[in-house]
Amino acid sequence: MTAPEGRDPALSRLLRWYPRAWRERYGDEFLATVEDVLNGGAPTARLRLSVAWAGLRERGHQVRREADVTTWSLKGPIVAFIFADFPLSLRASPPPAREWLATGALDAELGFAALGGGAILASALLAAPVFGRFLRAGGWPRIRRRVGWAAVATVAAGGALAWTVLASAAETFDRLSGDYALGIVVTGLLLAVAFGLWTRTAISTARHLGLSRRIRAAEKVLVAVGAAALYTVMSAGLCFNAAIQPGVPALLLCIAGIPAFAFCATVNLRRAVRKGRRLWSAPGRA
Amino acid sequence: MAARRPAGGLRRANDPPLLILISLAEGPKHGHALAKDIEDFAKVKLGPGALYGAITRLEERRLIEPMDSDDRRRPYRITAAGSAALAGALADLRRITSTGLARLRPQGDLA
Repeated sequence: MTAPEGRDPALSRLLRWYPRAWRERYGDEFLATVEDVLNGGAPTARLRLSVAWAGLRERGHQVRREADVTTWSLKGPIVAFIFADFPLSLRASPPPAREWLATGALDAELGFAALGGGAILASALLAAPVFGRFLRAGGWPRIRRRVGWAAVATVAAGGALAWTVLASAAETFDRLSGDYALGIVVTGLLLAVAFGLWTRTAISTARHLGLSRRIRAAEKVLVAVGAAALYTVMSAGLCFNAAIQPGVPALLLCIAGIPAFAFCATVNLRRAVRKGRRLWSAPGRA
Repeated sequence: MAARRPAGGLRRANDPPLLILISLAEGPKHGHALAKDIEDFAKVKLGPGALYGAITRLEERRLIEPMDSDDRRRPYRITAAGSAALAGALADLRRITSTGLARLRPQGDLA
């Protein structure tokens, strides 16, 4: 990081503790305040230490905020794989005793995916009028780079996913090669990047929009409903797996996975409802 | 059971966000002016790191907003939501303070 022209490099170096986005937003005025505090003097060890601590806390805060990006990067690929596998799942022949479980799991996958997709679409539609105004007011350059990267990642992930679908359709489970396994890993990574970039783009765009409290409250709850539905899709995927592959590993995966997904969905929903209610009833402009 | 979060997420009387809101209730100020004012009225010395950490959180929660400025020293002002959150937090503090004072009084009378 180089010091801006005319700025003391020793002071500018204090900013390195902070995340880049924070430096871009607050860096200049923060340094102006540090200069005022020092009144021409050199930064003391105590000041350096307190600024370093504050910068690291800011990074920690950013990581917590990025938790949404991480969880969508994990959920997205799993759900995408479940649906990429759907044609093959329809052709699978479970033992007659477990046929009800397989059929029920596939129905649940479709139903909850529709619910989740609907909730996320509804949250996007809530912001659509404000987003339209933002674009008409010349906001596109502010989000262009993020949207571009997310679109590139989506094209790459979509191509890789199409390849896995074609490969699955062409071969049986018994003849899956090492190349196929590598392809699945690469596709999973590309999907994780694509979902992560879109989540980050959505969060960053929402910040530019200045949405009202009530729209933000409704969006929080709708996105959490969408996430809970996708956790249910993942649970249904585990049930389907246990139905078509009788055996201890699939059963154990089912027993461990379903409570874990249910816990994540419940915690997520409760937190969103709590935050949504607080936002909804907060004082000031609705 | 978790305690109810006070109005606007403000916690203690010497919480930097609360002190900043009290300072901005008087009128817009930039970073250094805020730090000096807070030191004057609360005897709390906020370093630039703590000050800007609190400013960041308050701006995220839309309790304060930056004003246009040609200078590097960007002033901030309290928003309507910030004023309401401050009023709520101060009412909470007043209730706690008056309860504490009322409970101290009998001991003072005994002495």
